[in-house]
Parts: sequence; structure tokens; C-alpha cells
Amino acid sequence: MTNDTSTGTVSAPKPAALEEKLEEQAFKLSAWMANQGIFIFTAALILFAAVFIDGFVSLPNITDVFNRAAPIGIVAAGMTFVVISGNYLDLSVVAQVATAGVVLIAVSNETSIPVAMLVAVVIALAYGLVNGVAVGVFKANAVIVTLSTTFIGLGLLRWATGGSIYFGPSDGAIRAFGATRIGPLPLAMILFVVVTLILSFVLTRTTFGFMVRSFGSNREATRLSGVSTPWVVIGAFTVTSLAAMLGGFVLAAFSNTAVSAMSDGYDFRALAAIIVGGTSVFGGRGSVLRTLLGVVFVSVLTNIMVLSGLGFGIQQMAIGLLIVLAVSVDALARKATGA
Amino acid sequence: MNVPDRDAAVGSQPADDRVGGDDHPAPIIEGRNIVKRFGGAVAVDDVSIAVSPGEIHGLLGENGAGKSTLMRVLAGVLAPNEGAVWVEGRKLDPGDTRAALDAGVSLVHQELSLVPEMTVAENILLGSTPSRSGFINTREQKRIAAEALEEIGVSVDLDEPIARLSVALRQFVEIARAIARKPQVLILDEPTATLTPAETTYLLDMLQRLAGRGLAIIYISHRIPEIFAICNRVTVLRDGRHVTTVDIEDTTPEGVVEFMVGRDLQLELETHRVDPDIGEVVLSARGLRAPGVNDIDLDVRAGEIVGLGGLVGAGRTELVRAMIGADIRTAGETTITRDGITKRIASYRSAVAGGVAYIPEERRTDGLALSMPVVDNITLPNRHALSRAHVLQSRKIVDFAKHLAEVVNLRPPEIHRNVGQYSGGNQQKVVLAKWLGREPEVIILDEPTRGVDVGAKAEIHRLIRELADNGAAVLVVSSDLPELLELSDTIHVVRDGRIVGTLLRDQADETSVMALASGQTKVDAP
Repeated sequence: MTNDTSTGTVSAPKPAALEEKLEEQAFKLSAWMANQGIFIFTAALILFAAVFIDGFVSLPNITDVFNRAAPIGIVAAGMTFVVISGNYLDLSVVAQVATAGVVLIAVSNETSIPVAMLVAVVIALAYGLVNGVAVGVFKANAVIVTLSTTFIGLGLLRWATGGSIYFGPSDGAIRAFGATRIGPLPLAMILFVVVTLILSFVLTRTTFGFMVRSFGSNREATRLSGVSTPWVVIGAFTVTSLAAMLGGFVLAAFSNTAVSAMSDGYDFRALAAIIVGGTSVFGGRGSVLRTLLGVVFVSVLTNIMVLSGLGFGIQQMAIGLLIVLAVSVDALARKATGA
Repeated sequence: MNVPDRDAAVGSQPADDRVGGDDHPAPIIEGRNIVKRFGGAVAVDDVSIAVSPGEIHGLLGENGAGKSTLMRVLAGVLAPNEGAVWVEGRKLDPGDTRAALDAGVSLVHQELSLVPEMTVAENILLGSTPSRSGFINTREQKRIAAEALEEIGVSVDLDEPIARLSVALRQFVEIARAIARKPQVLILDEPTATLTPAETTYLLDMLQRLAGRGLAIIYISHRIPEIFAICNRVTVLRDGRHVTTVDIEDTTPEGVVEFMVGRDLQLELETHRVDPDIGEVVLSARGLRAPGVNDIDLDVRAGEIVGLGGLVGAGRTELVRAMIGADIRTAGETTITRDGITKRIASYRSAVAGGVAYIPEERRTDGLALSMPVVDNITLPNRHALSRAHVLQSRKIVDFAKHLAEVVNLRPPEIHRNVGQYSGGNQQKVVLAKWLGREPEVIILDEPTRGVDVGAKAEIHRLIRELADNGAAVLVVSSDLPELLELSDTIHVVRDGRIVGTLLRDQADETSVMALASGQTKVDAP
């Protein structure tokens, strides 16, 4: 992919005033930032941490950072589909992650883990279908729809559990999954990487992923090319829901407990990772691998702040600031590419 | 450009012999030597126009002749690249809409610009809402709105939301809005496009009344009878240039049409297809109705190029979209026949599956994913052929896209470059390439060369002819008359959502198509 617009038959530059030239430079810079920024910044941040932060460079710390990032990373990888399809985000991942976690532990306590997983899959498909039909078929706004399904889902969960905490058996497979390592690598972290690779393949190499990207870039042109666009939207939401379910499993396995409030903030943290990675909130542009980098960036940044003794409030502020910056760069970059 | 001799110009009039006239009082508004460019394209090229109080001045020209652009310059919506607008002998700041309004120039837009959720009174005072320290003075708002409506003789409930009004009433509210600003110059851009004959008559009477009170009116319309019914003078533009300004008594409808289309025909000598091999009906519509489409029967045969002529807004785009199911139909049926089997087109997707390719009017919004590379755009309609078990075959895709880029002569042929970075002509070639890969049996092209440079235009024409020569049924919508005449084996002219005339290749010329399209054959005032 090239950023060079000065060659070939592409429209010749007109004589421009100084002001326009400066604006053009700002556009070019933001286009570059949106495309390449995350690679440079992640590398720089890791380098900075390695040099200045005591305790950052150690195998336990680094694997711990990645391992902790696994649940949010899996959710974000899935939600990338909804964002790239041009439907902003799926807020209901908050309800979905908690539901999957509670179902995994509560249902398996009564029956078995496979049954619990099956129930969770059915719930995930239902979420994907409801969100997808409302947005894809009825053309409702994704933010409002998923905000509503969050309320419905969390309400249902709180009503069913009465807000109680569920504990898995201390010698059970769920706890074992959360604690197992293969060599130095935690199982959850491996799952995170595997899910990312699979979803990346689906998005870049399959006809479904292709239609998601194309729909996000121009939905009318995609429809007029003979694509059944409602199914593309339903598919994107379903991928997100299945990933949210997996994220819920991993999160529950970490502590061997589950509660309806376990996933607070997952909607926004997932979005932060996606946007910081350089996936466009306007749809069409981005990738699952970028989301992986975004997760790494946000996790390392948080880790640096923790190791530096900065409190949760400061961490939250920093991430908010980061999103404003990333979204502004994205908007400028969109103008610059003329899309 | 034959203008009778005249006395010396009056007052501040420019030394331009096309402007003004002996019988006319000093102009209130003048555009002097206006030039307006968009990028490289010149939309208005050194045009002068002057209109006096009490005069209704008709502005005519084909689609794209520069009429709307010129009016938007006069109203200060656009800043001209050269030239200036003078009102009452004072030069206006270029592109300052506020200044133009204050000087008394009001433009009634071609597209309705009302806010549907707001009331009639709120809309009439939109942008000049009377207020006292931030609070809206509702009584004053209603008073001014009522006054404006009274002036044009239209009665409508001031508290009614615009959304509940008919299209015609909205058009009148739009005019009331212009009148509420107490203009000296009123510019109307095709105000009757959406009106019935009775409503049109009412509007024309109203304009004559307003002119009688000393208002200067500039009236754009494609409907030549209207021009002859109310205008004192008429200016004709062609390809952005001034062709003539004449008193209405000194010309005839036929004369005006000739001024509009009279280009150097020998320059356009591209060859027609010789003895096209036309087969059976492939695409067929019977009793088709849809919003803007009235009871259409239409057949397109294998190997035939059928052209749809008409004015912008005549319903051609709606017609082709309803035919292939891209938009809803309210009645009627369309079928596609392949290998002797006739199938109903139930949905747009079934049309595409049945071998239809649709090249929409708006390539940037409907035809292409601009932020994606050429190769992805070409892959989209061909994804099934280019994948195995839903996994895309990258190497096959690249070969496929490269081949098609070559067929349509994409320049430069860089398939990994984003489509948005290409020129209009090349973008249109990509839209064609998308569909050529499917070897379609029916191709529908809506304004296939709008905004395309001359070279690319010839190449696109060549491709369209080749498709027909290879047996495809081709349906072309074009407002570009030479293009329509050159490509089509049969031309249907559409007006008000109906086919009002059918011309075979040897019967059709610019005048006959234009006459049918503008309803000029129906004689006299509406």
C-alpha cells in the first residue's frame, strides 16, 4: 500500500496557498500516523519501558502482562469485525462476557463443563442474531441497539443470579485452565494468540471477512455488487459475540469465580485497543493484527503506570486521552485519503 | 450571437455588447465575465448576464451547461474564479452569501432545502429567525411568514410541519422563504420540476405578478413552453459558455432548442455500430410502476443497445433501478430470459445472479469502495468465482484483476492502489471491470461517462459497443445527447416517469430527442 499520491495520472496538485499547504501536511502526517503510528509507538513504548521502568523486562512480568490481556484481547479481536463493518462498536460485550463467565461456572457446577459451554454458545448466537438483525435488517443504530441489549442482558443476569458470586471447584478444570502454562507461556495467552490469528485469517482471507471490510468501506456499493448485506452484519455481530464468550470463559478461569459485574468497562477497553491499533471507527480500514498491537500498547502503558505507582484514576484518564487522540487522527486521515 | 445595434450602455453597465438592451431599464443585477472552475473543469466560462427590475429572464441550456453554477455565483453561494457580481451598481464580495442576501438576491434552490421537522413559519424564517436576547420572537416570526405567504398568494397553516406538506406546497414555502427576505432579485432553479400542470400554471402566474411589482426574476427551466409563457428575455448557455441572449419576441421554441444543442456535429463523428446483430428479448418490463415511474413497458434484446433519453429528474434512474429490483417496485413485473428460460426478477440479488450488471449513476457513493484498492473492488462481485470453500484465492484474484485492468485500460494499471486515488475516468473503468469479470448478459449503465475525460469516454464507449457486439443486452441512461445518439440502436425518451417517444437510430437527432424530453412538441404554455 502506498501513500504516495504525487505520481501517475492521479489529479495534479493545484497551486495552493501556504495555509492549504500546511493543512495538506497535517493530513499527510495523520494519514501516516493512522497507518504506521501504532507500530512505531508500540515499539517506542516498549523501548521506553525497558530502559526506564524497573521490573518491566523480566519474563514473569512480560508473560503476566500478556496473560492478563488475554480476555480483553480476545473480545477486542472479535469486536474488530463490528468496527470494520462500519457499525461503531458492540457495547453489549459487557453483558456477554459476564454472562458467559457466570454460565460457565454456575452451569458446570450443576451439570458439566461441556453442557455449560454449549449453553454459552447458544446465548452468544442469540446475542449475535438480535444485535445483527436490529442493525443489519432494521438498520437501527448499532450504538443504541447494543446499549439496549447490554441493559437487557445485564438485567437478566442480575435477576437470575441475584448478584451472587459463583465459585468453581478448587480442583476443577476451569481453575486448571487459568493456571496452566506450557513451558513459560500461560495457556490463556496462547489461546489469545490463536484466536487472533484465526480471526485475522477470517477477516483477510475469507469471502465473509472480505464482505465485512467491503461493507464497512461502502455499504451501498457492496449491496449493489450483489451481496446480502443483512447477513454480513449479522455475521460480524456473531463473531463478536463468540469472541466475547471466549473472553468470558478466560476471565472466569483466571479467578475461578464469576459475577455479573466482572466485565465492567470491557466495552470501552476493547474499543480503545481497536482504535489505538489504527482500525477506523468509520469502517472499512483496519485489521485484527492491528487490534492485537493496540491491546499490547494499552496493556504495556497500563503496566508502566502500575509499576510507576500511578493509581487507577490516572490510568483511566490516560486511556481516555489516548482514544481522543486516536479518533482525531483517524478522522483527519480519512479526510486525507479522500475516502 | 446576433444582437441588434443599440445605444451606448447606461451608467455602470459593462462594455459588453451581449448585456443590456435598448428597451430595458438599467439592470439591477449583473454578472460580469464570470468564470468558475471546479478543479480542472470549467463550469462557467466568461459569461455575462444582466437582469432589470420587472424582467423575467429565462436561463436555458442542457444538463451541465453551467446554469446552476452561474446562479449560485450570482447568489454568492460560490465564489467565481474570475469576474464579479454587481447589484445596483455595487460590487458584491465574491462568495459571500450573506452579502448577496443583504443586497436583495434570493435563490430558490433546485433541491428543497427545508427542514422537514420544523413548521412552515420556522422554515420561512430559517437563518433570519427574529429574536430578542436569544429568545425567539414567535409572534414576529409568524407575522413575517404570513406576510410572505400572502404575497405569493398561498394559504397554508403556519404551524404545520413541512414533512406533512405535499411536494408542491413545499416548493411554494421555499419561494415564500425567499420572498420573506424582501429580495430585489429572485432566482428560481427549475421550480416546476416536481409540480403538476395546474400547480405550474399557478406558479407562473405568481411569478408574473411578482415581476409586475418590479422584482427581477431569473428563471431556470428545461421546459421551453414555460419560458415562452412568462419570460421577457432568454439567455442560452452551452458547455459553460454564453451562446446568446435574445428578446423572447425575436425567437421561437425551435430556435432556442437549436441554440441549446447546436454544437459542431462534425466533431462528434464517432461511428455507429454497423448492422448490429440483434437477437431475442433478454430483459423485459411490463406495467412497471415505482415512485417516479409510471406504467413502463420496455424490452432490451440480445446484442442491442437501448438508450434512455430525457431530462434530469425525468425518472430514468428510478426506472432502471426498479427494473432490476435495486429499489422497490409498486406494480408490474420484470423478467430476464436466458437460454430460452424466462425468470422473474424477484430481487436485486436474483437479478445479479441472473446475469445483470448495474453501473450506477453515482460511482463514488454507489459504485465503488473508494478506500479499498482496485483489486478488492474488482473481487467484490466475483468473490464466488475467486474463492474455494469461502477462502479467497489470492493468486487467482491478482491475475483476474490484472487481466481486467488491462481490458478496460486502467492507467496506471496498479491494482493495489486505492480506487479513491484515481481520476473519474479511471474510477469508472474500475466499475466496468468489476462487472466485466462476470461476463454479464444484461448491462445497465446510468450516465456511464459523466465527469469522465474525453479519452476515457471513447474507451468506455468502445467497451459498451464490444459488449453488445458479443451479444449482451445493453441499456444506457444518458443526459449527454451526442453520447446517447452515438451509442443507441433504439432511444426511448422518458418524461415524468413515462416513455413519451421511441426513436430508431436513423430517426433520432438532438432536436427530436430534446423536443420530446422537454415536452416542447406539446405546444404552448402549460
